[in-house]
Amino acid sequence: MTGIMQDIKFYDCRVIEGSSTSIVLDNGKIEEISRNFTRGAGVRALCGGSWGYTAVEGDIDLKCGVEAASKLAFSMNSSTPKEGVELAAVTSPDVKDLPEVRIDPRDIAIEEKVDLLKSIEEHAKIAGVHSTKVMYLESEFKVQYRSSEGLEREYELLNVGFAVSAVASENGVYQAGRESRFGYGYELFEKENALELAGKAGKTAIELLKAKTPKGGEMPVVLDQELAGVFAHEAVGHASEGDLVLEGDSILENRIGEQIASPLVTIIDDPTLHEFGYYPFDAEGSESRRTEIIRDGIFNSYLHSRETAAKLGGTPGNCRAQGYSMPVVRMSNTFIDNGDSRFEEMLEEVRNGMYLVGSRGGQVNTGEGIFQFNAEKGYLIKNGELTGLVRDVSLSGKTLEILNHVTHVGNDLKMTAGRCGKAGQLVPVSDGSPHIAISKALVGGA
Amino acid sequence: MYDLARKALKLAEQAGAEEAEIYYAANHSTGVNFKKDALENAKDRFSEGLGIRAIVNGAVGFASTNSAEELENAVKIAVAEARVRESDPDWVSLPSNGKYPQVSGIFDKKIEALELEECIVYAVELVKGTKEVPGTLPTSGGFTRSKSKRLILNTNGIEIEEESTAVSGFVDVITVNGDTSTAYDFAISRSLDIDFFALGKNASDLALKSRGGIKIEPQKTDVIFHPFAFSDILEEALAPSLDADNVQKGRSGLIDKLGEEFAVPELCIYDDGLVEAGIETSASDDEGVPSQHTTVIENGVLETYLYDSYTAGKAGVKSTGNGSRSSYTSPPSVGLRNFVIDYPQEDIIANTTSGIFVNTIIGAHTANSISGDFSVEARNAFTIKDGALDKPVKSLMISGNAFELLKNITGAGFDVRKVGGIITPSIRVSGMSVIG
Repeated sequence: MTGIMQDIKFYDCRVIEGSSTSIVLDNGKIEEISRNFTRGAGVRALCGGSWGYTAVEGDIDLKCGVEAASKLAFSMNSSTPKEGVELAAVTSPDVKDLPEVRIDPRDIAIEEKVDLLKSIEEHAKIAGVHSTKVMYLESEFKVQYRSSEGLEREYELLNVGFAVSAVASENGVYQAGRESRFGYGYELFEKENALELAGKAGKTAIELLKAKTPKGGEMPVVLDQELAGVFAHEAVGHASEGDLVLEGDSILENRIGEQIASPLVTIIDDPTLHEFGYYPFDAEGSESRRTEIIRDGIFNSYLHSRETAAKLGGTPGNCRAQGYSMPVVRMSNTFIDNGDSRFEEMLEEVRNGMYLVGSRGGQVNTGEGIFQFNAEKGYLIKNGELTGLVRDVSLSGKTLEILNHVTHVGNDLKMTAGRCGKAGQLVPVSDGSPHIAISKALVGGA
Repeated sequence: MYDLARKALKLAEQAGAEEAEIYYAANHSTGVNFKKDALENAKDRFSEGLGIRAIVNGAVGFASTNSAEELENAVKIAVAEARVRESDPDWVSLPSNGKYPQVSGIFDKKIEALELEECIVYAVELVKGTKEVPGTLPTSGGFTRSKSKRLILNTNGIEIEEESTAVSGFVDVITVNGDTSTAYDFAISRSLDIDFFALGKNASDLALKSRGGIKIEPQKTDVIFHPFAFSDILEEALAPSLDADNVQKGRSGLIDKLGEEFAVPELCIYDDGLVEAGIETSASDDEGVPSQHTTVIENGVLETYLYDSYTAGKAGVKSTGNGSRSSYTSPPSVGLRNFVIDYPQEDIIANTTSGIFVNTIIGAHTANSISGDFSVEARNAFTIKDGALDKPVKSLMISGNAFELLKNITGAGFDVRKVGGIITPSIRVSGMSVIG
C-alpha cells in the first residue's frame, strides 16, 4: 500500500450523518410516516490523471476507504495513463451566516405536524377538487470534510418543506395544481402562507379543467418568474458547468467575453443566499461564492470544481454531491437578475402572443443548445391584454436565440426551490427570475 | 446488517408490532467512466441497509437505517409511528404464504467476479466504438457492473432471499465538425452479452447521420417511435394510470375502463416479473409476493390495473406482484415489473411510405400522468420516404395522448429491445401531431 500512496497526489473524505422524516397525507388519510437514519462516507483519491472513488454506507473505517479509493485510482492510471489532473487552490472556508432556524422542527410533535398537513389539505380541497395529497419533508445532516492538504471543516443544516397537489376532473378530463416550498425552519409554513398556497393549488386544478389547448407555433411570449427561472437554470446554467464544457458538450465553450444574450440579461449563481441551494462550502471544501454567469448579455464565467477551474481558469465553489456520491459541478441558487420593466408594460409591448406560467419540468441538450419546457398553464395575450387560459403548453427553442430575443426584464425577481438531477444525483437548488418578455419562441400545443 | 435482519424482526414484535417486515438490500457496484475519450474515474460503491414496516392496529409505521448502531432506535420509531396513526380500515395484512416460482438468468457469476482491469476493458471498448466513426467524439459515458442481494422477512412467515447481477454501458457522443449533433446509446443486461464496441459505434453513427437537419412543416403524420422513445412515453404517460393506487385515489385516466376496448385489437401488453433474464425479474416483488405474468391489455382490451398488496387488499383482489421500492429507505408502492409490448412484427420502416422516425425524446417526464397528454421534443429524428430513412430533422415537437396513441398503433418492428424493464419493438402510430 505504501508503494501506491507515493503516487497518490491528493485525497479527500466526506463523512455525512443525518436523518430525515417524511409524512404523506393522501385524501385526508396518513399514507406514510417514515424516518430514515443514515451515515456514510465518500472518499476520492487522485493518481496522475485518474480518480478513484469509494462510497461506503454504514459504519466507516476512513483509512480503509482512502486505501480502496487510492487502489482504484492507481489501477486506472496504470492501465490508461494520461496527463495529470491539477486542482485549483482552496483556502480554509469560513463557516458562518448559516440560515437561521427560529422554530426547530424537531421540537414539534409529530401529531402537530400531521394536524398542520390536514389543514393544508383541507384548504386545497375546494369545491370541484376530488383528490389531494400533501407531503412534509424534514432532514438534518452533518457534513464533515477532510483532505490530504490539511483542510478540515464541517457544517450542519436542517431543511424543512412541503408539497401540496390537488386534482380536479370533469368529463374524463383530469387536471392538477401543485405548490411546494422548502426552507430552513418550521416558521416556513407561516412565512410562506402554506394554507393560502394550498387553496391556490386547488384553484389551479379547477381553472385548468376549463382551459383550452392552444394552437402551437412561433410567437412572442412573456414568461413568469418560475418558468424564466427554469430557463436560466436548465438552458444557461447547465451549459455553463465546467465539466460539460470540458466534455465538449456545451454551446458555451470558448465564449467567455462574448455577447451571447440581450444586454438586458444578467444571470447569477449564488450559493451564499439563504435559498434552497445554500451551502457554506462545497463538496471539495471550497468556500461558496457568487458567480456572474452572464453580465449585461456578455458571457462572463463558467461554474467550477477545483479540477475544471484549473483547466479552464476560474474559481472553484460549485462542486456538489448527493449523499456519498462522487461530487460533480452543480448549480446552487441560479437566477436572472432584476431589470426595470413592469409586467403590464411587457404585455403592452408584446400585444399578441402567449403568457406562460409555472413549470412542469423540462430538459435541455447542452451540446446543441436546445431545450424544451412544459408550462403549467398559459394565457393568450390579445391586444396587450391577458385573455383565455390555456393548458398543455410548452416552450422549446435554441438557448442562444432565446437569450438574444429577450426584450424586457422585469423587476419582480422570485425564487423557487427544487431539486436538480445530474449524473444520477439530486441536489437541492433554487432558481428564479423576474418576468421576462421574448420576441420570438416556439410554443407547442395541440 | 444482513445478520441483524432477524434480530430486527424480533425487536419489532417485542416493541409491540402486531405484524412486522424487514427489507434488507445490499448493492456493490463498480463503474469506470470516461470524459471525452479518456478514462476519468473508477467508482466503487457499497450500500446496505434495512427498512422496517411495523403494523399496530391496522396502521403502518416505517423507518430505515444503514447503521447497526441506529437499528434498535429505527425499529422503535417504526412502531411508535404506527401508534400515531389512526387504524386504516383498508389495511388487510402483510403478504403471507409465499410459494415462489423459479426464475432464471438474473445472476451471472462472471459479473460478480469481474476485476477492475476487465471493467476498464469494457469502458475502453465503448470509446473505441465511437472512434470507428470519424467526425465524432464521445463526451461522456461508462461501464458499470453491480451485484445486489435482497432479503425480505415478515412475521407472517415470508422469507425470501435473492441475489442478482447486472452490467450496463452508456455513451454520449457529439459531432466535431460543422453542424453539431449529439446522440447516445445505452444497454443494460443481466449477463455479459452486450457488445460495447457496437454500442459506441451506433451512437456515433446516429450523431453523424443527424447532422444538417431540415425544418419540416407542422403536420399530422405516421411516426415510428424507437424503443427508447416509446418506452419513455409508456413510462411517464401510461404507467401512472395503471397504478391501482392512482386509480383508487381518482388520479388515473383509466378509471372505469376495465373490460373496455382501449387499444387496437392487435395489441397485447404484459407485466411480467418472470421474464428470462429480465431487468425487473425476480422470484418475488419487493414485499415478498410471488412474481407473476399479468395480462394488462389483451387484444386491445384493458384487463387489469397493477396492484401491490395494500392496494389489492383495498380492492379485494390479489396482488399482481407489483410491490416496488426504489431503495431500502422507502416503503413499497406500485411499480412496473418487466413491461412487455406485443404487436405483430414487420419490416417497419420499409413498410412506411412517408412519416417520421424518432430515436429518442426529451421531456417525457413533463407529461400529464393522469390525462396521458404529452408534448415532447424529438431527438435524432428522420423523415421516412418510400420505405427508407430520408433526411434528418433538426428540431421537432410531438404532442399527443398516450391513451389515444394506443388506439392508433399501426405497426411494430423486429427490433425488440429491453429498455430497463420495458421490453418493446419500434412502434408506428398514425396521425401524430408534429411541429418542426
